[in-house]
Amino acid sequence: MSVLSIRDLRKHFVLHNVGGRRVDALHGIDLDVEAGEHVALAGSSGAGKSTLLKCVYRTDLPTAGTVIVDTDDGPVDVTALADADLVTLRGRAFGYVSQFLRAEPRRGALEIVARAGQARGMDRDEALDAAASALGRLGIDESLWDVYASVLSGGEKQRVNLAAGTISPPRLLLLDEPVSALDPSNRDAALDLIADLTDQGVAVLGVFHDLDAMRRLASRVVLMRDGRIDRVGPPDVVLDELTGVAR
Amino acid sequence: MISTERQVVLEVRGLGKLFGDQDPGAVVRTGPELGTAKDPQGNTVVAAWDVDFEVAAGEAFGVIGESGSGKSTVMRMIAGDVTASAGTVRLRKRDRSRVDLLGLTPSERRALRIDELSIVHQDPADGLDLRVTAGGNIADPLTAAGWRNFGQIRERAAELLTRTEVPLDRMDDLVKTFSGGMKQRVQLARALANNPPLVLFDEPTTGLDASVAAGVLDLIRDLIESLGIAAVVVSHDFAVIEMLTSRCMVMQHGRMVEQGVTDQLLEDPIAPYTQRLVAAARA
Repeated sequence: MSVLSIRDLRKHFVLHNVGGRRVDALHGIDLDVEAGEHVALAGSSGAGKSTLLKCVYRTDLPTAGTVIVDTDDGPVDVTALADADLVTLRGRAFGYVSQFLRAEPRRGALEIVARAGQARGMDRDEALDAAASALGRLGIDESLWDVYASVLSGGEKQRVNLAAGTISPPRLLLLDEPVSALDPSNRDAALDLIADLTDQGVAVLGVFHDLDAMRRLASRVVLMRDGRIDRVGPPDVVLDELTGVAR
Repeated sequence: MISTERQVVLEVRGLGKLFGDQDPGAVVRTGPELGTAKDPQGNTVVAAWDVDFEVAAGEAFGVIGESGSGKSTVMRMIAGDVTASAGTVRLRKRDRSRVDLLGLTPSERRALRIDELSIVHQDPADGLDLRVTAGGNIADPLTAAGWRNFGQIRERAAELLTRTEVPLDRMDDLVKTFSGGMKQRVQLARALANNPPLVLFDEPTTGLDASVAAGVLDLIRDLIESLGIAAVVVSHDFAVIEMLTSRCMVMQHGRMVEQGVTDQLLEDPIAPYTQRLVAAARA
């Protein structure tokens, strides 16, 4: 069974502050992501890529459809889960890495990453070891590990975010522009880390703006347009078409 | 279903409060759709109605709303300071027995407030005696709970002050000489004295400077997690709710207008009222 099965997922926003205007962001998305597969979402801004990720994580509340995740307790529909169960499931099985780290005011990088590991069932010592190795691998200098993450640079925060999202690998990893603020060498290290997780069996659903990252990481590319899936295929084929269109 | 060791500590069902005339008919003539909590045909105020939520150990649940929304009434009913008109409020005590807080006698309620339920108030003067030392303020709930040995009380007070990051050399200073942030830390230490399973926070950082508030919030969050406290956090401030809670509800005119996971409620609010509140807070 797929780690993630999305069926007929729809999302309409009703903007009550703008006269009740309705924005149709997703029109019936069907998508599966298997263990060990990296599915990259491509498409222009406003195509619905981030909304799709947020509906899977349920930061955005889906309007209709199902989001089935295969968990330790069997298949679960995220859209129908009680709030408290959703909080538990997210901590245990989902990694969500967005562009921005919402850093808690007085917590260091090592602590943030270790806590994410503990939420996924690691004991404290194990989590600290894994956090140290993840931060090291992503090139965060050890002298910064106990500095409050809120004062780190954008690129450092983003790597802390990635380390927290990937520690004690989650079953499902959702990535929304996770390397956008990184310089080339740090970006390489981050992409390697993501590639290794896929090899270890993590199911990844990711949004990257740069085509090079998609070519390197994706098993499949899903091209979205106006809230619909327009095209699905191997990275070479879909991305070549895409660049052809752009040219 | 997700398997979990989640231990529900507080369970609120159908909680309601009518002030003034106790006309139950007022319920259908009030609420968010009608834009009022006050019965247009009589003198009943429906301060809260049909309030449902639960909180587990180690979890914080937020109650957001403007003044007059009913959030303080809900908290005061749970604390027993206001008699409820309807509903049940069940608490899992430290000894794991369960009790309906609404059915307690006054003496049972006093005992409960010493051992099982604490409140951290917005104004430290409501939770502390400012004319007494920090140590003395903490000794108070301990002696009420039966502690008699002076050395042990001092030791416990020192432990709590360390935990809430109050320098121990201030233990014998009068609380009125403390800064606002420090007073709040002493209030926290006092609230935690007898390891209550449930702590109610009423605007715990309103009135503090932003940097001081951030420190106090972080401390509260750590304490909730590490001590496994079930917390209800009442605030009009989204930053406080976002920082402390994993789930929350929004109240307006005495009713729950929306309940959800906190990041969803702030990122994708569904109810028109919540959308207005979030837009105003982010502006």
